[in-house]
Amino acid sequence: MTGARTALVTGAGSGLGALAAQRLAAAGWDVVALDVDEPGLAATARRSPTLHTRACDVTDPDAVAAVAAEAGPLQRVVHAAAISPLVPALDQPVEDVHRVLHINFLGTVHVVRAALPAMLDAGRGEIVLFSSLASLVPGRLTSAYAAAKAAVNAYAESLLIEYGGRGVTFRVVVPAQVDTPMYRRQAAAHPKATAGMKGMDPGAVLDAVDRSLARPEGDLYVYPGTVARLTAATKRHFPTLMRRVLDKQTS
Amino acid sequence: MIQGERVALPVEIRDAAVASAMFAVPAPAARDLIAYAGLAPAARFGRAVCSLAAVRYADGDLGAYHEFAVAFLVRDPVDGGIGAFIHWLPVNQSFTLEAGRSIWGFPKEMADIPLDLAGRVKRCAVRFGGRTALELAVRPGAPLPTRSAAPSIVAFSHLDGVTRRIPWTVSPTGVRMRPGGATLRLGDHRVADELRALGLDGARALSTSTVTRMTMSFAGAEEVR
Repeated sequence: MTGARTALVTGAGSGLGALAAQRLAAAGWDVVALDVDEPGLAATARRSPTLHTRACDVTDPDAVAAVAAEAGPLQRVVHAAAISPLVPALDQPVEDVHRVLHINFLGTVHVVRAALPAMLDAGRGEIVLFSSLASLVPGRLTSAYAAAKAAVNAYAESLLIEYGGRGVTFRVVVPAQVDTPMYRRQAAAHPKATAGMKGMDPGAVLDAVDRSLARPEGDLYVYPGTVARLTAATKRHFPTLMRRVLDKQTS
Repeated sequence: MIQGERVALPVEIRDAAVASAMFAVPAPAARDLIAYAGLAPAARFGRAVCSLAAVRYADGDLGAYHEFAVAFLVRDPVDGGIGAFIHWLPVNQSFTLEAGRSIWGFPKEMADIPLDLAGRVKRCAVRFGGRTALELAVRPGAPLPTRSAAPSIVAFSHLDGVTRRIPWTVSPTGVRMRPGGATLRLGDHRVADELRALGLDGARALSTSTVTRMTMSFAGAEEVR
């Protein structure tokens, strides 16, 4: 066997994180898979000897740092851990807003701070952060989620400016709805707000991430699929049209 | 029991992806090559079919791994239909290696199997200690409609003098197919030499296909003789 590379994957108990961890393990990587969902983690890692699980909450910076230190030199981080409760802005308890920001934004900060210094020292590495199309096109019921994901975008842009050109590749993945257990639950509970959208195949999202890693280092954003690309372009060039379409489709 | 775990049958694969190519080869040479299994290739007009497939198993009962298959279409001695005899099946993880050999007698061995299924052209290699046995590239084809029923296939294996028959169902989505479309480079390995002797070095494929997501189910093996 060639020397195995090591990846750290968060949110690996289900959905995109689980599939990302399994694909990396299939390719012979050593994978350290994190989640708070221990049964989910166990299912992800079942019978994959190179997939190691750690119950870890990304809101705890010390716990994340300890797991990253234990993992040794990381070649790739795939940060997929997130929550996305759908609630109107004024109905959402402020504690829940804090929680969304804590997991989705500060969790990202904790993961990056745990992994990036060693990557910069090594002069190589890949940090893949999952954002959302909601960060560019916030819709109904997503105020806290969209704000947290927009913060992830801004944070990553700063990282690129501050630490770009030193061998570490940053990617921010901006998918439309992805067909994960989390999205299925939301679409069932909120058929109007999700406009009856069927989620995109998570495998296709990860294919787009893989392809993006071959692109130039500064090419930060990854828009998987036509819907994400078209929506992002429409929002950029025709923001009023975008808002009208969104309003009509989700009301 | 595999590595301390009991593997229940049928074994279910929930997410696999495939890039494959089929080649026409001289039937007498194919017959000689697989005669050790007591099976005969399904031949027409003096040609048999050799199939090469690179598979990524992401989510399934045997864990996550890459696999490369060299198979021949054969006559099923039980019902006279067509089956796939698995001549060689390198994998890159230990659990599936042990399970495949002990449950079904699949000729699995450990290899490095880099596999890129994300790009337009799907690429795979099989390497042993840095030496390349073969490399396969599959160019994109045209989308095929997905059939709703899961087709049943029969696989055959041969290990330690025993030929086994394995019922197998597959349910693919995201299928693309085209005539030709494969580039096969043969390297330095016993199986590469066998494929070279069949005329596959630089050969044009009959057809190639890719599957973005496939579920599969493998039942237990029955001995053929």
